[in-house]
Amino acid sequence: MPPPVRRKALVLVLALGAALALTAVAYAGNGGFAPPTPHSPNAKRINDSYVWISIFTGAIFVLVEGSLVWFIFKYRRRGRPRSAEGPQIHGATRLELIWTAVPVLILATIAGFVFYKLPGIQDVPSAKAEGGPLVVQVNAHQFYWQFTYPDGQISIDELHAPVNRTVRVDITSQDVDHSWWVPELGGKFDAIPGHMTHTWFKADQVGTYRGRCGEFCGVFHAAMKAVVDVQSQADYTAWLGTAGSALGRGEWQGSCAKCHGLQGQGGFGPNISTNALLTQGAGLEQLIRQGRKEMPPVAHGWSNDQVQALLAYLKKNVYKGTTSGG
Amino acid sequence: MSWITTTDHKRIGILYICTSLVFFAAGGILALLMRAQLAQANEHFITKQSYNELFTIHGTTMIFLVVVPIFAGFANFLVPLMIGARDVAFPRLNALSYWLFLFGGIVLYLSFFAKYGASRSGWYAYPPLSANMFSLGHGQDLWILSLHLLSLGSLIGAINFLATIHNMRAPGMSWMRIPLFVWSIEIYSALLVLVLPVLSVGLTLLLLDRQAGTHFFEPQGGGNAILYQHFFWFFGHPEVYVMILPAMGIISEVIPVFSRKPIFGYKAIAFSTVAIGFYSMLVWAHHMFSVGLPNFLNVFFMLSSMVIAVPTGVKIFNWLATTWRGNLIFDTAMLWALGFIAVFTIGGLSGIFLAAFPVDWQVTDTYYVVAHMHYVLFGGSVFGIFAGLYYWWPKIFGRMLDERLGKAHFWLVFLGFNLTFFPQHLLGLLGMPRRVYTYSEHGLWQTYNLISSIGSGVMAIGLLVFVVNVVQTSRKGPRAVNDPWLADTLEWYTTSPPPPHNFDHLPYITSARPLRDLRRRLAETRG
Repeated sequence: MPPPVRRKALVLVLALGAALALTAVAYAGNGGFAPPTPHSPNAKRINDSYVWISIFTGAIFVLVEGSLVWFIFKYRRRGRPRSAEGPQIHGATRLELIWTAVPVLILATIAGFVFYKLPGIQDVPSAKAEGGPLVVQVNAHQFYWQFTYPDGQISIDELHAPVNRTVRVDITSQDVDHSWWVPELGGKFDAIPGHMTHTWFKADQVGTYRGRCGEFCGVFHAAMKAVVDVQSQADYTAWLGTAGSALGRGEWQGSCAKCHGLQGQGGFGPNISTNALLTQGAGLEQLIRQGRKEMPPVAHGWSNDQVQALLAYLKKNVYKGTTSGG
Repeated sequence: MSWITTTDHKRIGILYICTSLVFFAAGGILALLMRAQLAQANEHFITKQSYNELFTIHGTTMIFLVVVPIFAGFANFLVPLMIGARDVAFPRLNALSYWLFLFGGIVLYLSFFAKYGASRSGWYAYPPLSANMFSLGHGQDLWILSLHLLSLGSLIGAINFLATIHNMRAPGMSWMRIPLFVWSIEIYSALLVLVLPVLSVGLTLLLLDRQAGTHFFEPQGGGNAILYQHFFWFFGHPEVYVMILPAMGIISEVIPVFSRKPIFGYKAIAFSTVAIGFYSMLVWAHHMFSVGLPNFLNVFFMLSSMVIAVPTGVKIFNWLATTWRGNLIFDTAMLWALGFIAVFTIGGLSGIFLAAFPVDWQVTDTYYVVAHMHYVLFGGSVFGIFAGLYYWWPKIFGRMLDERLGKAHFWLVFLGFNLTFFPQHLLGLLGMPRRVYTYSEHGLWQTYNLISSIGSGVMAIGLLVFVVNVVQTSRKGPRAVNDPWLADTLEWYTTSPPPPHNFDHLPYITSARPLRDLRRRLAETRG
């Protein structure tokens, strides 16, 4: 019968797989075998939980797959006739009780560890020494992120934050469900219209951390990315001063250009660089606030200043004048 | 013509199985197109809108048009034979449930031709994305219609199976003597009866929101978008067990026969099936850990989800114990069953990470979840389905499948499956969300995606080998005897294929293995 050769093939495949996996780990940090290196205490504690669970699941994996392969090898047919029966064992209550009780204990151990870590993951630290957490509002739209800072400054797709400062993030959506997710700074929290969810981070290093929308939100879901730019306190303060002047460009890039192209030349959406509507404030405002057919209401919930910033940017930088084909 | 008007449970079973396999091919092609699109970074093989239709219809197909109905097919063909009945309790309703299934499937596939195309809001169609404003055209409405038809068909079928199992068992066949596959169909049916109406309510409200101007799920009109998620997952999670329990039932039939031993712990396996069914109704919000539920709910749903691992573990340990000291015969059906244990274990273990909700916050809605559910629904359900097909094919069609092609089929799919889905765990942990039509990262992202796409090709070749096997043996395959595997259960007592009335006479049932009892009695009288 076939087993010997195929078993070797199986062992070979498993060995190859393990070798590949190990190489991947060696060459690429964790290579995808654990969540990315955390840069915030909550993300760190999630990773600890992940590792803790891995220890037990890893052991069970080796036990189950090991005995499976061992039994397949040991009790293979070896030319016995089909009618040759094994011993007629119908069960063993004590054994079955053991493999019911032991998993319960293992699960209790896992749950206990997770609950021990839980407050440090989900509760926003009071951060008294810092004067309370910095609160940033996240408004998700098809297909961009809008961040509002305590003093009213707004940025699009780029969240600026000072290093070593507790930042509370209040998340909601203006249209469909999205999910706020920056793996290195913690887990996902959904942005749902009519609801507010909260998470927090305290980045331990200056740098940029990439985020993505974690809940399918429509045709440009894949383009709905965010960057968290963690800066020194001085750089952050300086940036806050310039945020207002960069708003128009941010809005254009985040809420218009993903569909219409960076020059408005068209892409998924039509070419708008020569569309005279760009210069007609009222008509354009109505369009972007309410959407039309496939165009989402990108400016739903915007303040007047936000609309004006975009209109000014469009007139100055995008509109190319009506051509005869217009 | 006689196939259209038939009310014979065996013919309806065959219709179910064949139709499901056709939809399996269709859903598989959709998946191959997606893998082609994702093989490389920044690929332009498929547009974003089409991609979103692909994964929506792929998911809907595999769940509603393949796994659930193919088990209805197995149950139709086998349950009456296994319990020694002449047919199901309501043969004409049975025909109705099949035709509802077929028309539901046709509606789903024709929706590709609607203006703006088929539904593209994912298989669970969360509003507001699935609302009128964000899902233009009638693709979404046709999706709802299709699911209504399919649910109704499933519901009728489930009631039929329940009535059959409860009322039509052969003399002597007590609850502790019915085959474990019949136990799994009992729970499959009970779950469907309990949760399908909830899905229908959710879908009806969604349809009203879209077409009648109501605001059940629309926040701007005072509705609640999260309410839909509760409706959907209250159905959606038990549905997962609807799709895995019958596969486990098949495994519980195949492993003892090809180990030449009785199942280890019949009662433990039967009761664990009941326990899984019960707990499956209490875990739905583990799909919603990231929506910001109150902490006590997250804790409750984490613990209830972990509890399911216990009866599931019992099954796996009992199957392993069944092979212990057996005479293991590696026919293709057995390879699929052992393959099931090997890969389903991985899917079960990755589920523990997902149940621990802080970890879920990192991995939910990433490729980690895609990997997990395919280890459970492909490595679990589909491996179980193939174990069942190779095991019962001789009984259903009267011809043996070719063992060499069968083994090639198994090994290609086993290899391709792991190549496709194992790297997806890693992609998820690297940060790749599910349902993105492309990505711009190179390096490991691209490597793992490429491996995954190559694996899907290997799987496709394996499945083609199955088609070749079926075509070749349908004419030239050796005729099957009544009981080619020396099996334990009653369906092997009649001819292959069985006559319309199933049995001329039945033995009195004195154990869960009536056929083995008969063989022993025969041997004794001869001896």
